[in-house]
Amino acid sequence: MLFFSYFKDLVGQEVTVELKNDLAIRGTLHSVDQYLNIKLENTKVVDQDKYPHMLSVRNCFIRGSVVRYVQLPKDGVDVDLLHDAARREARGG
Amino acid sequence: MVAGLREFALRSGDGSGKPVLDESSGEELMHVQPSVAVALGNRPVEFPGTLYITSRKLIWLSDVDMAKGYAVDFLSISLHAVSRDPEAYSSPCIYTQIEVEEDEDDDDDSDTESTEVLDLSKIREMRLVPSDSTQLETMFDVFCECAELNPEPVDEEEEEESGHNWVFSADQMDVRGGDEDAEWQISQSPTSVIGHSNGDEGLAQPMLELQINDQRFEDAEEMVHESETKDHH
Repeated sequence: MLFFSYFKDLVGQEVTVELKNDLAIRGTLHSVDQYLNIKLENTKVVDQDKYPHMLSVRNCFIRGSVVRYVQLPKDGVDVDLLHDAARREARGG
Repeated sequence: MVAGLREFALRSGDGSGKPVLDESSGEELMHVQPSVAVALGNRPVEFPGTLYITSRKLIWLSDVDMAKGYAVDFLSISLHAVSRDPEAYSSPCIYTQIEVEEDEDDDDDSDTESTEVLDLSKIREMRLVPSDSTQLETMFDVFCECAELNPEPVDEEEEEESGHNWVFSADQMDVRGGDEDAEWQISQSPTSVIGHSNGDEGLAQPMLELQINDQRFEDAEEMVHESETKDHH
């Protein structure tokens, strides 16, 4: 549940979601659910050559299982805190 | 479970033209959108047709050709979006990306040309264009609902060996399961949950360092070295 909680706190911030098929989409995090399905607003495709057809869709829903990375705003991350929380979560906390 | 887009032409015999669903597994019809065109990959749009959205998959059935129809499981739909950019596509539509199994011989463009033989399982993009574009938001919302109904299936065996069973010590706590119901959180919580324990006070305590000064725990090597050193004095 850790990352669900973490992403809830990030709602409203700009993130870049990189999918397993290499597509990267930047947008404002609108919402997230427990499966880490992600809804983004004001989306822009980062690498427009691979998927030119989805240049600017206003909102999109991304299935959690196809996400490879979520790139976070540098100032939005307290790495030590996240590190500790992840360790606790892994121990069954 | 079939991955990717496939042909589907199983219609019920009652004359309604509705698709046959797998009721035994609990599949339900969630939404019907008449007068929808479908465009697979870069292929020209196919019309007229009706879109049936079930709790498991998306089905488009042609209104004129009873043998023509397509279906894709929500499990295979990587993303969906409302596309209104005329530069991206001439009509407002729901844009979807379909997860396909990567083949090493895959040539990106070959499967999306208007050739005679179409391999549906290689289609990666699909657009659904309703004649009534005011329906797009409703369609988007239904797609979201159905996607949420279809999370990745969890294998019973997998769960046993999952990361939850990491062992850190002999007296490890029992692992607690996650919530069953999907809940969308769209408002920021007033305080961050990071840094707070989940209620298990034991784990929230700072780690205590154990100080053991018993010589029996010293490394054997060290002890030998020590006694040798002593001899040289």
